[in-house]
Amino acid sequence: MAFTLYSLLQAALLCVNAIAVLHEERFLKNIGWGTDQGIGGFGEEPGIKSQLMNLIRSVRTVMRVPLIIVNSIAIVLLLLFG
Amino acid sequence: MHPAGLAAAGTPRQRKWPSKRRVPVSQPGMADPHQLFDDTSSAQSRGYGAQRAPGGLGYPTASASPQAAFLGDPVSNMAMAYGSSLAAQGKELVDKNIDRFIPVTKLKYYFAVDTMYVGKKLGLLFFPYLHQDWEVQYQQDTPVAPRFDVNAPDLYIPAMAFITYVLVAGLALGTQDRFSPDLLGLQASSALAWLTLEVLAILLSLYLVTVNTDLTTVDLVAFLGYKYVGMIGGVLMGLLFGKIGYYVVLGWCCVSIFVFMIRTLRLKILAEAAAEGIPVRGARNQLRMYLTMAVAAAQPLLMYWLTFHLVR
Repeated sequence: MAFTLYSLLQAALLCVNAIAVLHEERFLKNIGWGTDQGIGGFGEEPGIKSQLMNLIRSVRTVMRVPLIIVNSIAIVLLLLFG
Repeated sequence: MHPAGLAAAGTPRQRKWPSKRRVPVSQPGMADPHQLFDDTSSAQSRGYGAQRAPGGLGYPTASASPQAAFLGDPVSNMAMAYGSSLAAQGKELVDKNIDRFIPVTKLKYYFAVDTMYVGKKLGLLFFPYLHQDWEVQYQQDTPVAPRFDVNAPDLYIPAMAFITYVLVAGLALGTQDRFSPDLLGLQASSALAWLTLEVLAILLSLYLVTVNTDLTTVDLVAFLGYKYVGMIGGVLMGLLFGKIGYYVVLGWCCVSIFVFMIRTLRLKILAEAAAEGIPVRGARNQLRMYLTMAVAAAQPLLMYWLTFHLVR
């Protein structure tokens, strides 16, 4: 079937879920992506890794509550029309 | 029911409001209904009580009357004025927030086009090889409107091209007896989804590479939307001359849009290096080069992916 807007929304939701589920102490620390690791010094431009860590941390912080709501809406929609 | 009983039943209800508002005056008149009408110390409570009284007596219609009385009341007028001022404040707030998320005033810039510009830009999209100056002109830190500068991004051509693409797709499906109305929506949804995905991917990579650029999201939509022009050309030629015409025209348009995107985005993404005037050889600059190349290379792929099923 064609790639439609709804499937894009679902894919985005799954991706955000995948980021939000990464655990700080159990997973991110073990591969060197913890909060206190790899922060660049003042003045130097942040690299890709630190930007990515920043993004992951932001998503995990901001999206926690919205994700619960959006996930339950998606589940109900899938149950009804899926 | 007896009228007197109704009056008696209505009396406590009438007294509720004035007693709340002006406790010292209405306390002694609690038993006497006439006290209510003689009380002239406050125009508000008198007017309210006087109009309220018939409503209390005519018990069955009491539900409509208090509302009329309420609307006539000066206090409610004040409340209404206050409420409307609140609403105006809210509207202002919403307007400001809408402007933050969807820059309405900025969108006007992208539609400031005229026929000359559209003709020139379409010519540029089909034949970008001889164009020399790709720099967007600035006038006192604000970009010049597309009317006066052919290099400026506009949204008029992408929007029209998108709609035309959906209609042409419907036409192509119709000539093959595969048309059904929901296919139009499906085409539009699919094209929009790919466009959104592309914009999101580019925004994410711009963030990861930490590019300091003046490219806004709307700019990106504009530049990515130019590919629909080539797709329309390809599908129309496919309708007229079959598969060979489709591949020739689409191939030409793909190469053109590739050159167009590289030359345009190079100035935007590699802006710092260009400003310094010397080729910076570093890992960061290389990443930006790759990013520019990837964005430009994605255009032909998407152009093919969105049109190949329309031509038989």
